[in-house]
Amino acid sequence: MSTVIQETPVDVVCLGVGFMSGVVATELALAGNSVVGITKGPYWDYVNDYSTTKYDEWGVGLGRKYDSPLPLQSTTIRNDSSQFALPVRRYTMPIQYHALGHGVGGAAQHYGGGMGRFGPWAYEMAKRTSSAYGAGFLASINPQDDTHDWPLTYAQYEPYYVEWEKAHGICGNYNGSPTNSSSDVNYPWMSQNYPLPPHPMTPLAQLFQSTVQGMTAPNGQKYNPFPSVSALSSQPYTNQYGVAVNPCVYDGYCGGLCDYACETGAKANAAYRTIPAAIKSGNFTLVTNAYIYRLELNPSGNQVVAAHYYDAQGNDHRQPGTVFFNGMWGYNMVRLMLLSGLGTPYVYNSGTGTGTGTVGRGLTNGYTPYRGTNVSGTVNIGGNSYPAGNGSGGGVSVFDLMDDNFSHTNISPPFIGGGLFGAGGYLGGGPGNITFAGGVSAPNATNPNGAMGSAFKATQQNKYLPTKQSVGATPFAPDLPTFMNYIDLDPHYTDAYGDPVSRLTYDWTPNTYNGATYLVNQIKAILTQMGATSVTVGATVAPYSAHNDWWGHHLRGGLRIGTDPNAGTATAWAALSGYNQLYYNSNTSGFNYFAAGEITNTTGNNATAGTHAAGPQSYRAAEGIKKYLANVATNVNYLSS
Amino acid sequence: MVSQTRREFLKLGLAAAASAAAASGIEIPLLGNQNSNLQNQLNSANTQVTNLKTKLNTVTGFVSLNISEQSLLESIVETIIPSDSTGPGAKEAGVIYFIDRALAGDYGQSANMFMDAPHNPPRTPASAGPLTVKPSTAWAFLQNYQQTAYLPAGGGGGVGAANPIPYPGASRTYTAGGTNYTVVYGVTASPRVGSGINYQYPVNMREFWRISLAALQAYSKKYYSGNYQTLSSANQLQVLKDLWANTPKTQTNPPPSDFAYELTFMTWAGFLMDPLYGGNQNMVGWDYVGFNGVNFGNFYGEGLDQKTLMVASSPTKLKPASLAQYQQQATGGA
Repeated sequence: MSTVIQETPVDVVCLGVGFMSGVVATELALAGNSVVGITKGPYWDYVNDYSTTKYDEWGVGLGRKYDSPLPLQSTTIRNDSSQFALPVRRYTMPIQYHALGHGVGGAAQHYGGGMGRFGPWAYEMAKRTSSAYGAGFLASINPQDDTHDWPLTYAQYEPYYVEWEKAHGICGNYNGSPTNSSSDVNYPWMSQNYPLPPHPMTPLAQLFQSTVQGMTAPNGQKYNPFPSVSALSSQPYTNQYGVAVNPCVYDGYCGGLCDYACETGAKANAAYRTIPAAIKSGNFTLVTNAYIYRLELNPSGNQVVAAHYYDAQGNDHRQPGTVFFNGMWGYNMVRLMLLSGLGTPYVYNSGTGTGTGTVGRGLTNGYTPYRGTNVSGTVNIGGNSYPAGNGSGGGVSVFDLMDDNFSHTNISPPFIGGGLFGAGGYLGGGPGNITFAGGVSAPNATNPNGAMGSAFKATQQNKYLPTKQSVGATPFAPDLPTFMNYIDLDPHYTDAYGDPVSRLTYDWTPNTYNGATYLVNQIKAILTQMGATSVTVGATVAPYSAHNDWWGHHLRGGLRIGTDPNAGTATAWAALSGYNQLYYNSNTSGFNYFAAGEITNTTGNNATAGTHAAGPQSYRAAEGIKKYLANVATNVNYLSS
Repeated sequence: MVSQTRREFLKLGLAAAASAAAASGIEIPLLGNQNSNLQNQLNSANTQVTNLKTKLNTVTGFVSLNISEQSLLESIVETIIPSDSTGPGAKEAGVIYFIDRALAGDYGQSANMFMDAPHNPPRTPASAGPLTVKPSTAWAFLQNYQQTAYLPAGGGGGVGAANPIPYPGASRTYTAGGTNYTVVYGVTASPRVGSGINYQYPVNMREFWRISLAALQAYSKKYYSGNYQTLSSANQLQVLKDLWANTPKTQTNPPPSDFAYELTFMTWAGFLMDPLYGGNQNMVGWDYVGFNGVNFGNFYGEGLDQKTLMVASSPTKLKPASLAQYQQQATGGA
């Protein structure tokens, strides 16, 4: 056995260096604490690494040359607890979005930059649904329901949202709240507007905006359109940490299908927003190409004392610390805790339809089912199609079909929540589209020879020079937490170091489909009013008639925060219940990360809103860690305050 | 043009390969008059031939496909994207070189794939049968180490670490919104063809192609009375459709539809990905679909701005630029 290399103890150890660790590392380092951040990949330099080699659909989209290598670590997936879970073998559509980030910035290397806030309803969905529709309503629409509320309200999170948006240079112009006051309990009102203005609006976005401004929403009020919120900086900017940010250059190789990295650093990412300030403080040490494999506990098992990792040469390191912050990608975070014996593992009982434990519990999906009830039409607006437009700018959204912003009484089939509907993002879907996005399909009614032969070839001629475009949506209501969807360790497959990989057990819940049945008709009315032709609602897709086989990119939950220690951690500071100095946060933590059911249109305008909602929680965790460090010597139980 | 060059390569290697080919019963089309035509062409001093010679040294030629595969795959990709009155196809784009390079590199070696055992193919409800799988050593270790309930959650059974874990699948009935839904779950999920959990073979992509190309040729010979290359265009297309439909019952592992997906996917990729990878030669694929590549509006001095193009309501056709061109321009020429 090789000798373990002992690292110098520090105040804070950040596990993984993505969005969440970026905030915590920077806040704590600037406050004078010693911080170490450990990531399994490199520190990408956007100019040097991307500016000449990123315009490469094959290498980026399929080769995933900037992403986490599957031979190092994969995951297994299944739809039901009775099934053998198949390992993800390769990156390809329709599963390309499984790709995880690699290195500083993590998955934000390759997202679209959608960043809308969650609304107030999302934070207290269980309470409000019970109040509005009856105590048994959630259980009646969601088999094996396991929905819980956040520990804090939107109003309590709002100041943290402001800090998050300032740090990352978010673009937009409010969120469609009619009054934009704190008395608005339905829309995400803002105490401060977004720090940067929105991106230039497309002609389709303008048509959508002017159309819905004259239309009555289901709540009886006029629609309230607002520019789609984007994390791609629209102007030169310097954030509160003094980090200068370049603006978007609209190169068309952005988010969307192939998930391009940004060569100007305009796409918000810890590597170019927070971590530079942490490094400049002199209190932060960045450890790259280091694979964390265990957290070490003290003898009584109630404190984490060190993180263990392998460096690129296979050396075994031990990094002691006072506080640990787990900012890994969601199911990697859960996996590390399970491997380390931290917290109570979630165990599902299919016989009773319930479960016990918290670590791995409450897995949900924040993205559209690939096959759901859809609506589409055609508008006579053309343009140039780029590989991936500009990930999130240029469009217009409405929050009026979201959350409980309309009455759900007497809707059949019943559901709760709704979706953010947007239109008019920059045209994407370049040539990689046909290879990556399921364009290669079997012979079917539309294409009797599939994607083969002269007839199909002719459909591709001048495809990227459209004179009209399809507009529509495959909408869905929030995927609700249920006991049957969860993360655990796989009994059969291991990573490159011989440790079990994570196993995801997940199938879409009925609420996603039943919401679509209602929402398509609202969207149909908008499309018709916009003058779209051939507006058609597709066949209704019933719950459980299609099963998930693409995973990862918008998964949420698995380690939730809340007020019930039996369902998640008991603290509102994101410390793990029973381990007051282990904090965690990621895209997939939190009770209600499922709440922003987005509606996507054909330009791929969806919000990575789970990240945005986790962002405020990372500031909350940073605040909690500061309190802990200030009081750790006197052992004051600050967490009760 | 490119294709003829490749044939010339093939011709030169033919003598050495002839006996092996004959022994294995593989037919290689003899090119006859094309050879003298090609000589004439090569001997002429026009610009096209200069370009061709450059290409001869740098782009064309094979590093992975064997002789019988070269001939067969050329016919297949030209079936999937034919050269026709609307424009160039797989032949002009050099799709076969793209695939050849891919098979020789990371794609063929499955270098970025997770290839660990066990390999259990997806089992849908229709082909269900109970699956029993032995746990990994790591799993046994963890159970001893943790002494906690790290057991397969729900329905997995099997307490002892060394015991194989049974996966029966299940039929479940859920009630939502007053409606009952009965769901039959097979012993694995049912991935769509091309899904990242669909490829569960213990061989890398190069072997997958070798096995599948040979099976395709055998099917063609048996049911269409001849090598694929000799079939009518209609029959060539029909053979590929048969693969998509899993009609060939002589080949069940891998299922033909998996290979049909791979063939179609890689052919279109070879037509549309950057020329650096060996296909989309002279950017004929991009020209056909109207894609600008890395021309952001001013690559050839057009004086346009991409930010403006992005909010236009009608398209602007530009001459495409490749990644290599872009890099050369960015670095002041190469």
